[in-house]
Amino acid sequence: MSENEIDILLVDDSRDDVDLTLHALRAENLANRVFVARDGEEALDFLFCAGPHAGRTFEKPPKLVLLDLKLPKVDGMQVLKQVKGDSRTHTIPVVLMTSSREERDMASAYNLGANSYLQKPVNFGEFQKMVKLLGLYWLVVNQPPAAADVPQQIKQAR
Amino acid sequence: MKSVRQLLIVDDNPADVTLAREALEVCAPGCQISSVEDGVEALAFLGRREKYANAARPDLVILDLNLPKRGGLAVLAAMKAGPDLRLIPVIIFSTSKLNQDVVRSYELGANCYVCKPGNLNEFFAAMKSIEQFWFGAATLPPRGE
Amino acid sequence: MSGTAVKLAIESSAAPKPKLRVLLVEDNSLDAELVIRALRKNSFDVEAVIVQDEDSFIEALGTHSPEVVLADYNLPNWKGMEALTILRRQNLDIPMILVSGALGDVLAVECIRQGATDYVLKDGLARLPEVVRRALQEKHERSLRHQAEKDLAKKADELARSNADLEQFAYVASHDLQEPLRMVASYTQLLSERYRGKLDENADKFIGYASEGALRMQVLIQDLLAFSRVGRANATFTNVDCKGLMEEVRKSLASAIQESGAVITDADLPSVWTDRTQMSQVLQNLIGNAIKFRGTKPPTVSIQAEKTREHWQFCVTDNGIGISPEFGENIFVVFQRLHARTEYPGNGIGLAICKKIIERNGGKIWVESQPGKGSTFKFTIPFQSADEGKA
Repeated sequence: MSENEIDILLVDDSRDDVDLTLHALRAENLANRVFVARDGEEALDFLFCAGPHAGRTFEKPPKLVLLDLKLPKVDGMQVLKQVKGDSRTHTIPVVLMTSSREERDMASAYNLGANSYLQKPVNFGEFQKMVKLLGLYWLVVNQPPAAADVPQQIKQAR
Repeated sequence: MKSVRQLLIVDDNPADVTLAREALEVCAPGCQISSVEDGVEALAFLGRREKYANAARPDLVILDLNLPKRGGLAVLAAMKAGPDLRLIPVIIFSTSKLNQDVVRSYELGANCYVCKPGNLNEFFAAMKSIEQFWFGAATLPPRGE
Repeated sequence: MSGTAVKLAIESSAAPKPKLRVLLVEDNSLDAELVIRALRKNSFDVEAVIVQDEDSFIEALGTHSPEVVLADYNLPNWKGMEALTILRRQNLDIPMILVSGALGDVLAVECIRQGATDYVLKDGLARLPEVVRRALQEKHERSLRHQAEKDLAKKADELARSNADLEQFAYVASHDLQEPLRMVASYTQLLSERYRGKLDENADKFIGYASEGALRMQVLIQDLLAFSRVGRANATFTNVDCKGLMEEVRKSLASAIQESGAVITDADLPSVWTDRTQMSQVLQNLIGNAIKFRGTKPPTVSIQAEKTREHWQFCVTDNGIGISPEFGENIFVVFQRLHARTEYPGNGIGLAICKKIIERNGGKIWVESQPGKGSTFKFTIPFQSADEGKA
């Protein structure tokens, strides 16, 4: 599967949370095209088609970036700022999913242009429900910006 | 404690506003829904001007693109330009499937873009999904009156 | 100042002869009369104007509208061949025949090379009527051909414009119709749900019919839009790996395949030069039809391609209900259906779309089938370059 066919870029350094998220997405059949980045630097490389991800193209961005705040190397807020600050990437939907309960973090995130902000529930079942909801919303209901005009689904015309 | 959810629908088609209300009535009966018919009214409502002096600040705005007087994109741009209104999440809800409309909306700061479905079931399902995500899962920015 | 232009109307007393307007470039009046008499003799009802210089010639061209010019080679003030230059300059396709004394073969041939229609000696005037007749015949054929070409170009132009208008209309109509239709469809459905059992029985039935009609209309319009889009969208041609494309096609038909237990096989499909999205549409429509119009057994569909000298030929073969040969062409017509809506669903646009795509691609599509014996749909895709046909 090519790096240009990714639906979700999941940026999280917590192994448990990543597993939980993938598990929940898998249950909704949404886990096929997920790329996991463990730190902010890798996330930026991925989105800006740089470093080990130089083979990627800006024309085929992921439909959603799920971004945690506390990340090694480059933290989530920095990633958000850079992504939303660059005209090549600023239309990519970025949803923050963090354990932080700081209202200040939330305000900053929305201010920087985060498309949405979710607080990770402590409860396992609630976490799953949240991932299911967000997967459904951002991958099925939402219309992401696409670089090329691709007909959504070739309707089976008889 | 969640306070009563305030939703603003900006759409010049009363039939679509009614459909949205019907759908939300089912999945979010406690939600308070206001609606305006054009872009000028929308900004007056959000700015709590004149007859809207006592209007509640919406937690979420559902915005159509094709509006008389001031179009949806102009409203969006105006909202995202000001320090106060820019935090309110805006969902573009339009029949247009044109990629240029979608991209432009995101560029101007729309939080998301939903195509108005053509049939009832899908319309209701889309409304339900919007309500569940934004009022159920997401954490909305503070009202900061 | 006009020259010595003399109009001679010669009445003939014999059976009506074809009228002929002649412009004669000749300074010798006796020679002029001999020429006119030669034409008169059993041949033409001549209206002649005689001129001797360039100015009179040009004037006579306008006032007399000659059908043929007869010119002497050597005049005191002028050269006969100059008349040809003037005719050319004014874009007049009038045959010019040299009527002259001995010129010598070399000079005669040179004059014809320069554009004179023919050359007649003054002491061989008996030939003149035949020469004139032949020259006029050739001119007539030339103008017929010219007119036919102009008509054709005009028709092609009108057709192109009309087609463009039609496609534009189909697109705009389908596109603009969607919105009010959405209202009708949504609200009849809402009525149906909210008031079922609350009004009388008839109301339920009426609302049901309205709702079904609206939903059917929605699909129709979407199909129309898809059909008109084939013309509008700019096709991007690339090398399309059909084997890889089949994976996507299978995926998009996944539920139909699963439901029907269909077995789809494809063997050694090549890469062809075409628009990927449109090729996918063609395969999807053909395979989808094969599954839909199945018999009692689970459908089997096989897709193959063979290379001929001129193109790739694809075959989509199924074991379905088959088609009677008399409908072989009909099925490709927009909205043509062979079955009642209750028997097999659909609007009858899928094959019309296939045909439009294939033909725009420079190929042909047709079906070979017998009722009860399955169908084979075949279509051709031209090579990208002439080289592909070899080897």
